[in-house]
Amino acid sequence: MQSRKLGWLLLAPTLAVLFLFGVVPFFYVIYVAFHQWNPFAANPEMIFNGADNFRQVVFDAGFLASLGVTMAFVFFAVLTELIIGYLLAQAFMKDFPGKAIFRTIHTLPLIMAPIIVGSIWKLMTTPSIGIIPHLLDSWFGYDLNIGQSAGAAFAITVIMDVWHWTPLVTLTLIAALVSLPPDPFEQAQIDGANKRQIFWHITLPMIAPAVVATVFIRLMDALRTVDEVLMLTGGGPGSATRYVGVHIFKEVFPRTNYGYGSAVSVIVLYLTIVVCWLLYVGMLAPRNTKKG
Amino acid sequence: MRRKNPWLSILFWIFISFLTLFPIYWLFVVSVKPAVELFSTPDVILRSVYWQNYIDVLNDRTLREYMLNSLIISTGNALLCTTLGFFACYALSRFDLSGKESIFFWTITNRMAPPAVFLLPLFLLMTQVYRIGDFSLLDTRIGMILVYCTFNLPFAIWTLRPTVDGIPKELDEAAFVDGASPWKVITEVVFPLCRPGLAVTLILTWVFAWNEYLLAATLTNFNARTLTTGLSEYVTTTGTEWGIMAAISVFTLIPALIVFGMVQRHIVTGLTFGAVKG
Amino acid sequence: MGMRHVFGASLLSLAVATGGAFAQELQIGNEDWWKEAGAKFDGVTLRGVTESTPPSNFISDVLAPKFEELTGIRVDVETTSWDQMYDKAIKDMEAGTGIYDMIYIEQDIVYAYMARNFLVDLTKALADKPDLKAANYDEANFTTFADNFRGANGELYGVPMEAFIKVYLYRTDLFNDPEVQAAFKEKTGKDLAPATNHADYAEIAQFFTQWGKDKGLDLWGTTAQAHTGHPASWYEFFESVAPTYGVYNWGIDAANNYAASVENGGTMNSPESKEALKWWLSMRDIAPPESVQSTWTEVATTFAAGRAAQGLVYGENAAWIASDESKSKVVGNVGVALPPMQDGILEQVEGGTGYIGYYDGGAFGLPVTSKNQDAALLFLQFMALPEVQEEWAVAAPRITLTSTYDSPKVAELNTELGGYYDMLKDQGYLFKGAPEYPFHAQVREATAPIFYDILTGKIGPDEGLDQMAAKAEEELTSLGYRK
Repeated sequence: MQSRKLGWLLLAPTLAVLFLFGVVPFFYVIYVAFHQWNPFAANPEMIFNGADNFRQVVFDAGFLASLGVTMAFVFFAVLTELIIGYLLAQAFMKDFPGKAIFRTIHTLPLIMAPIIVGSIWKLMTTPSIGIIPHLLDSWFGYDLNIGQSAGAAFAITVIMDVWHWTPLVTLTLIAALVSLPPDPFEQAQIDGANKRQIFWHITLPMIAPAVVATVFIRLMDALRTVDEVLMLTGGGPGSATRYVGVHIFKEVFPRTNYGYGSAVSVIVLYLTIVVCWLLYVGMLAPRNTKKG
Repeated sequence: MRRKNPWLSILFWIFISFLTLFPIYWLFVVSVKPAVELFSTPDVILRSVYWQNYIDVLNDRTLREYMLNSLIISTGNALLCTTLGFFACYALSRFDLSGKESIFFWTITNRMAPPAVFLLPLFLLMTQVYRIGDFSLLDTRIGMILVYCTFNLPFAIWTLRPTVDGIPKELDEAAFVDGASPWKVITEVVFPLCRPGLAVTLILTWVFAWNEYLLAATLTNFNARTLTTGLSEYVTTTGTEWGIMAAISVFTLIPALIVFGMVQRHIVTGLTFGAVKG
Repeated sequence: MGMRHVFGASLLSLAVATGGAFAQELQIGNEDWWKEAGAKFDGVTLRGVTESTPPSNFISDVLAPKFEELTGIRVDVETTSWDQMYDKAIKDMEAGTGIYDMIYIEQDIVYAYMARNFLVDLTKALADKPDLKAANYDEANFTTFADNFRGANGELYGVPMEAFIKVYLYRTDLFNDPEVQAAFKEKTGKDLAPATNHADYAEIAQFFTQWGKDKGLDLWGTTAQAHTGHPASWYEFFESVAPTYGVYNWGIDAANNYAASVENGGTMNSPESKEALKWWLSMRDIAPPESVQSTWTEVATTFAAGRAAQGLVYGENAAWIASDESKSKVVGNVGVALPPMQDGILEQVEGGTGYIGYYDGGAFGLPVTSKNQDAALLFLQFMALPEVQEEWAVAAPRITLTSTYDSPKVAELNTELGGYYDMLKDQGYLFKGAPEYPFHAQVREATAPIFYDILTGKIGPDEGLDQMAAKAEEELTSLGYRK
């Protein structure tokens, strides 16, 4: 074993940067979360109010509704991305003519800024003038109205997210798949395992760390989604797509409700950590212990 | 798989590519139409082309500055995060550091934070605390490169960790036995084997930095404005300039494609022995 | 197109020449005084933040270079999006960083800034420093819109730079079409003319929506700024529709402990307010289908695309709809009228108790945190010089000085815009900016989610307004305004 000093040295720059730009601001957010603070209230100063903000958040119907739709959004979006992303990554493991071109095409959505993705999907889905409602109407007689139907707006935000971010899942899983050692697969084939057995007993366990990392990234990014949805629906119709990120944005920016906004953020962060921790422990820890 | 006809693969990919490309095609359609044309019964086929949006974009000097800032910030940040992340992963993978799994998990929590409330503390820190004399980090490229580490460095660590863990320890132990320095082992033994993972990490961190909006909008004013902040200038109370926004986006695809092209080939030219058969 | 795109040019020499010509054309009186006044501020750079609108672009592309040429003071203007502009200005002033020497103040946020003492009293500053006072700058020359930026004693906190009224636009080609007129007469027994009251407006709207359907045209009878997730819809109701039913200041009574509900003496959920909302919703139902996703932008484009026969449109857009052929299909076919209103409203307004619509716009203000206040005072006066304002009115249709109305160029434009400037000049006093609330965005955002639910039909309009009034009072109590 090499000297631990070298290990800490290699880790030090990372810890320093994350401390200065991640942890220090976070302490400030926690500090604000315990204060009543709206710079345009009758009293614009910060007033310590204990856990009042947190109490308010927990009983805030608007926030709870927002949390509910966010969970549904994250669940459907991330699950779809994971399945499609994995299938595409597997498909890219084969050689076929034009593979490089197809892979480049497949990664194109990633390089579009969320504000643009939101704009384009808005233009494509606006009732009467958008191409998607137009085609759905002329082909199937279906009236897609994301300005009135909560379900339609929800579905479009999920589809938009899947379109935008599936390539990320594909890419990270490709990286995981190309790094797999060949021996276990060869052994399994010799032993006569079928495809499904190979997937569940060899591929999945071996790429599990990469899958967890990818799910985490998508999960937390989907939880923070703001620009795309704000551009597409503004959080509407009603509060149908007022996801947590949008909710916080509207509380903090136009409403300058800094104290409450900070409390919501702390709670959301806490919930995210708990969910991720459970996933992490559930999926990876048993493996690590087994390994010893 | 070999027994299957490659044309099936190609047909499949043409179909997928069609789905992927349609919104991008629509972006192009929007960029070559006057806004008023967008407000009519839509037509899948483009019947006439209006280049004015592109002329406006090409003539805009500030946009070229924004493009340069975006390139420098994204590239700088992607390189920094990938490098630091790689070192960190090597440390986490190869050294017996106390509490390392907790540290590993903690790094990702930095990405979970909803950014809206972090803007104020970052603004205060960058203007009032992290400064040397008259130099403050606000509105500088280096400031943005550092701030973007909060979400990109955890990402790099989490995507690289499985890759580094996957490199058999015996390889670097053998090199150490041969008398190689740690630096040599990291750069000449581990690094080449990690190339696919590093390439993917580089691409994706670059993409996240390239597309970031909220932090750039708040923490830059005149000197380090990025393309995404430039795009938002076209969303105003008097109108959203869909056409110009779309034209700028079409332009931004070009540098992004070049960066992708340069990095992507490393995804496969690293190790291909693991290609799953079947 | 935004001018900055033309002026930013370096590739097309033609565009550069145009830009040059513009700055040259601007003749400033008393140039020597400006040179002398600027000499003191050698090496100073003024920094401003604003939204990227045509009037703002005129500042960065024409006024700033001209000002620098005269005084040697450089002016950098940061243009950004609507919500970012607020956020950045507020952060800067709240933290006392001193990044900005000039900030754009939209009329609806000035009371919040004044309540926080964020802004320099320009009247006093110029009185205290007579050597900085430009001869041609005259506070009395501003239109009534400047009153929105004055404090309790009439002191000015912002130099108005854009001002518009939200007007009733109608399609003259349709209204004057004999076939349409005959059909309308046959159906309703009335002559087709721009509506003066809500019943007539509704009748015309229904007629045209049916007409579009019958003839297979993409034509509807009215616009509706009815986005179900964006405050634009909230604004259309409270600032443009409710006042024409006699519900002013969002139905909140500032003099009565900020009461919003009828129960406590407010009018947000009064019978008039409910009637207004139901009328507006019925108009929304026969507006083009995209209206449920429409903010001010889309409403303007809908009208410009010829999809609506009439509608309420913000003045900043009325101008390009009526005159810019590259953006509008209805150039030359746009008529301007006062919004339709209930009987007796006009008398109330003339009597000084209300208003019939929204007078919006913005000003440039000087934050107290600025480190270059004296130099900024010079630029703010420069913006309000009559000779500057005249060119500005032509480049970006907005008028903030009474003297500008007399300009021949503006008169010419007035004809092109269907008499819009005449209305601004003669009837502008009937319109009013946002109420004088320091809690503008706070109460709006607190009540908006309920309003969106009314729009989607999740809650009925009566019940919804009751809930909104209660929510507004709750928010005002928690902010400490309502005791």
